[in-house]
Amino acid sequence: MMKKKLYIFILMLLPALSFAQNEVYKRYSPQQDLTVAQVSGFALNDSVRVDVVLVVADDNAAWERVKKELDIRGDSGSTSWLGEFTDPAKRTGWNGRTALRVVASHARRTVAFYRIDSERQYDALLDYQLRKMKKQ
Amino acid sequence: MTENQFDELWQQVEARKYGRMLAAGYPAWKRNRRRALTVAAMLLIVLVTAVVTVSTLQRPSASFEKVYCNRVGTSDSQWVALAAEMLME
Repeated sequence: MMKKKLYIFILMLLPALSFAQNEVYKRYSPQQDLTVAQVSGFALNDSVRVDVVLVVADDNAAWERVKKELDIRGDSGSTSWLGEFTDPAKRTGWNGRTALRVVASHARRTVAFYRIDSERQYDALLDYQLRKMKKQ
Repeated sequence: MTENQFDELWQQVEARKYGRMLAAGYPAWKRNRRRALTVAAMLLIVLVTAVVTVSTLQRPSASFEKVYCNRVGTSDSQWVALAAEMLME
């Protein structure tokens, strides 16, 4: 009877869990000089969605701190890499495990973290970038 | 039938009779409380799932995103647009 109640409780929690705040958001949102937003379910195409965390530095000091923390070099343009989920500063290759596509823009003083959980999301993200770039 | 067998049978009949008398004092759903609770829980799950599914399907795809922000006064669409623009950087 207890086991059945537990299953029912977990089933009822599932819809709420699908929109939980992620680790990157929790890590940066308490910092006073950063504006942090999480977009859950950002659509890459009709069937693939990812979670995105956007970190915007409010001033130069905050931006320099973020750059140092994520090992972002240079002062202009943008840079992107695939980072480890637990340590986004660490550059990695796609190995089928959860990772973060990190895009940093100096002009916007912004870093975007796209959470990639599957090959399908990884392909869709690259495809999205290609599609949009062709349009430009 | 021996006397012992008769006694045993008599006790069984009495037990069933008292069981029925006891049960008659309660409404049917209380007698089957475990079953009623299970059915209620299942109905609740079906209802919650239906509401979540319908509300999800009714949303236009552009506004499906759920946005959290640590600052008040920002608009959700601004962040969705920024998420798209950052991929073009």
